[in-house]
Amino acid sequence: MNVKIISFIFLCCSFIFAQSPTAKEIVDRVTDVMSPVNAYSKGSQTIITSSGKERVFEFESWSAEKGKSTLTRYTKPAAIRGQAFLMLNNADDIWSYFPRTKRVRKLASHAKKQKMQGSDFTYEDMGGGDVFQKKFNSSILGEETRDGELVWKIQMLGIADQEPPYPKIVMWVRQSDYFPVVLDYYDEKDFNSKTLLLSDIKLIESFPTAMTMVMKDNKERSSTTMRNLDITYAWEPPKGFFSERNLKK
Amino acid sequence: MKFWGPILLLPLMLWGQAEFFGYMESEVDIMELDSQRYSFGYNKFRLDMEARPNDNVLIGANVNIQKYWGQTTWNIYDFLPGFSGLGITQNIELQDTILVDNIYMRLSFVWADLTLGRQQISPGVGYAWNPTDIFNTKSLLDPSYEQTGVSSIRLDISLGNRSTLNAVLQPGGAFNKSTKQLWLKTGLGRFDVDVTLAELQQATPASMLFGDAFDAKRTMVGGSLVGEILEYGIWIEFAHNMLDSVHDPSSGTMQPRELQYDEYVLGVDHTFDNSIYIVGEYLHNGFGTKDKSLLGLQDYLYSLSGEGRSLMQDYGFVYIMHPTFDFVSLSTLAIANFNDKSGTLAPQLDWNAFEDTNISLQGSLFWGDDDTEFGLQDWGLRLRVRSDF
Repeated sequence: MNVKIISFIFLCCSFIFAQSPTAKEIVDRVTDVMSPVNAYSKGSQTIITSSGKERVFEFESWSAEKGKSTLTRYTKPAAIRGQAFLMLNNADDIWSYFPRTKRVRKLASHAKKQKMQGSDFTYEDMGGGDVFQKKFNSSILGEETRDGELVWKIQMLGIADQEPPYPKIVMWVRQSDYFPVVLDYYDEKDFNSKTLLLSDIKLIESFPTAMTMVMKDNKERSSTTMRNLDITYAWEPPKGFFSERNLKK
Repeated sequence: MKFWGPILLLPLMLWGQAEFFGYMESEVDIMELDSQRYSFGYNKFRLDMEARPNDNVLIGANVNIQKYWGQTTWNIYDFLPGFSGLGITQNIELQDTILVDNIYMRLSFVWADLTLGRQQISPGVGYAWNPTDIFNTKSLLDPSYEQTGVSSIRLDISLGNRSTLNAVLQPGGAFNKSTKQLWLKTGLGRFDVDVTLAELQQATPASMLFGDAFDAKRTMVGGSLVGEILEYGIWIEFAHNMLDSVHDPSSGTMQPRELQYDEYVLGVDHTFDNSIYIVGEYLHNGFGTKDKSLLGLQDYLYSLSGEGRSLMQDYGFVYIMHPTFDFVSLSTLAIANFNDKSGTLAPQLDWNAFEDTNISLQGSLFWGDDDTEFGLQDWGLRLRVRSDF
């Protein structure tokens, strides 16, 4: 009798644990995987316009509190060397610094939707943190295989009063490590305005990391490729690092 | 600091593995003023150096070499409404220069930075005007152009992520004639706020004619607020000024009588979904006059020298920009003097022709009567090419 009960409990447990995670659980895991506590990176940003013209930028970036605070400073090309952006509260507050005028300007929230240095990434796209968790309701649309990997297709619908960056995002997430590989961003007319492709995924200090990210603007037919040239998650921000004082350095 | 400056900088360049960068800028201008057409321009080479001997020290310097061409001798009276064409001549000549503009050292401590030397200081949140900026004058046709250095000692103390206390001392001959300014900046929710206090020896319009004995002691209390309302960026920058003496024309002397006046800027900006960016500002300068008939030679000279924020009292500024094509943006800038009803409209094309190379073409059309601030000039055209390295 006891053996039967134990067997039944085991069976129930296996059944429960074999259940697919919910959309919320997947998005929670994606947020964890995508948001290491701290990070420092050097990267490049290659913009290819609709007419095929190319511009390459290089930058350094620091982030803390799982992407809640970010500081990005451009190092190349020479014309914008030293330009820096400080984003706090998941890019809700943005300050820009222009070395030519030595002035810091606080940008209003409309600026979040501006292209960062003319790229296909907006300031808002560069902000991290728990945006997916707080500003969207998620649901699973299905399972697919992409590049030989089993993935979940997740739909995220913006919660209107949370001021989501996009009305809708569809995201494909690898089941093996909860790492997203494609994100489709939709505009108010439900047009797939931009697509983000994450590739060359490497394990850096236990965190899966996309060494290449390509943002395609499906309206303007332009694209921006961001590459991680150097990255570490072992960086610890000194006290007062994410401040106007440091922005100007 | 002219020719010996670069020699002085050499050891700095060699020590601390200095980084070198800068730009070459060439400008061609054509202008019609009082039916006379002029062409002029300059070639400017700027070399910047930065060395970091260790994590706590930054040494920075830059040398500007600027050579003018075309019309280099100007009769200042040609630019003064009401005086142009009277046959009075007082020439100023644009001299070729080799100038060490900035040369400074910054020591960074855990909670503070101390910067000593000639350095760029640019306070204020306004785009076209900064009532709390006692160090610089902006060109209204190019408000974001770099400012020259100020020989000073600056202390920036961090009081938290969004709060700082900043102090600047620009030594004068005597301490009581030195320029001093203090700011306290902090964040209040989605707004940045600062208050400032300054004291300086200020040239007055009378100083333009009679020399610095006619300067007055100016005390300024001001501040700024920047944030947003309904996704529109807004800012206010204000300064309440007190002069300790005023010029008495009847006796021809400075009389110890306090004169108070206010300056403030109200600004708004927004980026629309179609990428059009617009910024607008209104300036009120209580030191200016509302009535152009009250303006004298000293007032024009005062404004032209950059000592006065503006010639008259009330101004508007609008800048509209759109990134129209790949690496090409079209913009228009408009400035209006509401008191004499004159102004200028300046459409501009900016083309990032190659990486680090920008070509800009700006036209300017002026309106108003011939005896008004902007109406004196007919039109202008400016071509500027700049290549950074």
